[in-house]
Amino acid sequence: MASLIVQLARLGDLLQTLPAITSLTARYAGERFDLLCASTLTDIVSLFHGTARAVPWEADQWQQWALGWTNSPDSTMTAAQDHIHQLAAQTYDTVYNLNQHPRAILAAHLLGRRVVGPGSAGPLYENLPPWGTYLRKVARDRSANHVHLADAFCGLCGVMPPGRVPRITPHASDLPGSLEKVGDPRYHWVAVIIGAGDLARCLPPAIWARWITALLNAHTAIRVVLIGSSGEIGRSRAIQETLSPLLWGRVWDATGHTNLLQLALLLSRCHWTIGSDTGSLHLAAAVGCRTLGLYFARARVHETGPYGDQHRVWQSSTFAPDTWPIDESLDFIVAQTSVPQLTECTGWQLWEGHVDEWGMSYSRPGQSNVSVDDRMAVWKHCMSMDDRENVLL
Amino acid sequence: MSVFEANLREIAKQSPELAAALRAAQGGRLEIRPAKSGYPTGFAQGRAIHSTYDPVKESISWATAQIVSCREGDVVLVFGIGLLYHVEALCKVLPPSIRIVVAVPDLVELHDACAVRAWGDWARRVTWVWGVPHSMARRTMELGSSVRFMTYVPAARLHPDAHAAIEESVRRSIAHAAGGQLRIAVVGPIYGGSLPVTRSVVTALESLGHHVDWIDHSAHATSYHALARLEDARHRQVMQNKFAEFLSQLTLVRIAERPPDLVLAMAQAPMTLSVLEHVRKKHFLTAMWFVENYRHLTYWQQMAAGFDFWFVIQKGACLDAFRHAGAKEIHYLPVAADLAAHKTVSLTSDEMEEFGADVSFVGAGYANRREILPQLITPEWRLKVWGNEWDGATAIEPVLQRGGVRIDTETCIKVFNATTVNLNLHSHTGKGLDPEADFVNPRTFELAACGAFQLVDHRSLLGELFTQEEMATFQTFEELPQRIRAALHEADIRRAMARAAFDRVVREHTYQHRMKELLTQVGMAQPDRVGTILKGEREAAQLSRRCVDHQELVPLLKNFSVTQRVELEQVAERIRHRGPTATLSREELLVLMLDEYRAQTRDLI
Repeated sequence: MASLIVQLARLGDLLQTLPAITSLTARYAGERFDLLCASTLTDIVSLFHGTARAVPWEADQWQQWALGWTNSPDSTMTAAQDHIHQLAAQTYDTVYNLNQHPRAILAAHLLGRRVVGPGSAGPLYENLPPWGTYLRKVARDRSANHVHLADAFCGLCGVMPPGRVPRITPHASDLPGSLEKVGDPRYHWVAVIIGAGDLARCLPPAIWARWITALLNAHTAIRVVLIGSSGEIGRSRAIQETLSPLLWGRVWDATGHTNLLQLALLLSRCHWTIGSDTGSLHLAAAVGCRTLGLYFARARVHETGPYGDQHRVWQSSTFAPDTWPIDESLDFIVAQTSVPQLTECTGWQLWEGHVDEWGMSYSRPGQSNVSVDDRMAVWKHCMSMDDRENVLL
Repeated sequence: MSVFEANLREIAKQSPELAAALRAAQGGRLEIRPAKSGYPTGFAQGRAIHSTYDPVKESISWATAQIVSCREGDVVLVFGIGLLYHVEALCKVLPPSIRIVVAVPDLVELHDACAVRAWGDWARRVTWVWGVPHSMARRTMELGSSVRFMTYVPAARLHPDAHAAIEESVRRSIAHAAGGQLRIAVVGPIYGGSLPVTRSVVTALESLGHHVDWIDHSAHATSYHALARLEDARHRQVMQNKFAEFLSQLTLVRIAERPPDLVLAMAQAPMTLSVLEHVRKKHFLTAMWFVENYRHLTYWQQMAAGFDFWFVIQKGACLDAFRHAGAKEIHYLPVAADLAAHKTVSLTSDEMEEFGADVSFVGAGYANRREILPQLITPEWRLKVWGNEWDGATAIEPVLQRGGVRIDTETCIKVFNATTVNLNLHSHTGKGLDPEADFVNPRTFELAACGAFQLVDHRSLLGELFTQEEMATFQTFEELPQRIRAALHEADIRRAMARAAFDRVVREHTYQHRMKELLTQVGMAQPDRVGTILKGEREAAQLSRRCVDHQELVPLLKNFSVTQRVELEQVAERIRHRGPTATLSREELLVLMLDEYRAQTRDLI
């Protein structure tokens, strides 16, 4: 039996698919699972335990065909048919679709005989399964989300969360130049993600300079690694120019110097990762690095907080905050206190992650498991009768 | 057998007449010398036509770069002969399904090419066209309607006029044959001189059978002008800019609601560079017809790179300036007449009395007109001046009609028809006649379309639009009184010239002509996107014929009438209409998938 998991979203959602993969492979031991994802992300899938093959989805190629269809419908159809055949010479028995958009639903029906998740009732059937409805409601109403997105992915697949934190192990691939020194055990390494996919989620360079200065001044053993894409080199320069030259020797700039596999390795060598970009935070969490998320704009801790115990997230009550919980974070990042001394500052609340049999949840420090009943109720409401019998009872 | 005779024999197989003409011709246009590689190379007018190192290698590079945009069924028309290395290279790199045609404007040069080196089998693939431009164009079009021009510049520069004439003739033939329907969004200005031109453009495009969505911003003119009453100049500027920005966004929304094949903006249309960039990123074709004097309105400098096509009413330095500012495609396209708006009318005696005069001028009070027109007030003839923006021009007051209010088009037409000599004086912000007198204003065409006689100040571009028998001109102010005097006394000549000018307008200078020209330029530059639509290749019947390997698609296309233009969007919509319980074939799923990516790529909002 061969099954396919469809996850065409970005890096963050792909990493949040790990619990679903873990649960599916545990429940259907011996079955082969492939993962359809954006072609730019297949490298990272090679690190996943439980997936046999990353099937690359070439969105750019589909766009080209879409634009050329009317000029040559026959050759476009032939090319698209051939492409689908190359992706999967034989149709998958079951396709677990985790995306609600029509592209993923259509891909699921093109590649599989039976679809689980959005599109399960047919490619044109607009009604969503209960988990899909639940996620859409949470996204639309911005209402309290008791079930983490990664666990909802499990629900879409008809399985319970794994009850543990799935990890990935980076390859020992070469890091470029001076980045090899990152992880030197004499120091306490903090990765700072300087950008974000969504511009509204980016901290100004001057604010990052304040964060970094505070961290480096708090302890001489602190070392900072700047993380960013090649498009963020300018931001990195702006941050460094704002820092005191006395601190320059304690800052490593990895901006634009790593591919995804190297970034995973780099983050695995750090003790903490701080940032507002959820994709990179999920990657850090997946390789075992503790994370501190700064969630504002559209980011919400209960929906996309890093998966695992002991991750912390500052959630802003405003879309564009003008104060930042810098000093409030130093005690647990630098002094590594297990219980944070300060859990609130103007416009921000601190949340802490926990994993249990119902999956991932975030609660205020010292108030763990307050949402168990709520999550259980959602699971009972969203699981289908068949799944309930198989999984819950 | 000599090389010349052997090559001639190949030509004779296809065109005995050309072979005979070549045999009768004398060579000597090209000077032949050996290149460093040993191959012969040619020189003309002291300049090398092919590489002096390796003409074969150079030609392969040239041909490889040229063929990128070619597709099956194209006809490639090559300009430039030289020693034909470049044609040989094209024959090597182009698949057999593409026809190669070489234009021969000069038998002497081809005679040289025949005599220098032995041609191989490639020569059998070449179709030679020769004679007058019209017949060369006709012969080319007989081979196929998807014509692509390829110019080998080092050789083509020997005969630029001949090549331009052939190209023009081919373009006209294609425009004449075009019958497909485009969806065109015409973006008009808030107000100003380009607004009536926009109206005429919309009418012309509709009359040609295209679907036009006129994004008419003149509806917002009152609000825009209200902002002009703000007292603080900075407030005024900021609010007017914000208002224009808002209208630009509105343009975007309108384009999103009815996605066109072409966005045609008229001069002064509110479209910011960021909106243009967004539209272009979504693969919409954009064109601007800049019906303004580029020396006076200079905002095009910031916008030049934003449009795919620019059409301007000036030549020479104007074209260079736009290119230097980043314009990718720039073409000369003069304004024209709207025969529905400007026409001959019968007037009552009262109307003749009110609107008639020996000499009339209709227009705004620019500086040069304020200086010149008062000097024409004389008891020798009755002068009337119509139009607005004459505040403070006391010298003109005795002849200024209706106190200098703006007059509508209907009144203009009555004035034109009732006047013996219509004076057409191009505007200029300085004194005297425009020292950089190049473009021809809309008034020239409007007067001609009304069958009215006009005296127009000389323009460098007028000669190619009207002959001296069709249009009376004056070069200096000094000669103007005499020209008026003569015209007033020569009724027969006046009538003949007015008639000839009218006929010329009907024949060549309507907005329909201009729009055909514009769309042909766009279609030829974008044969896959616009050219195929113009040729009707997106109609259901044509698409069905092309689906030979995918018979599954044919039933989908049969849902449409044979002449209906069908896009991916429509096919997908038909599939979706089958409802949520429909079982879809693999082909149908693929069509839906492609349409999802079309929407993602093209949807603006």
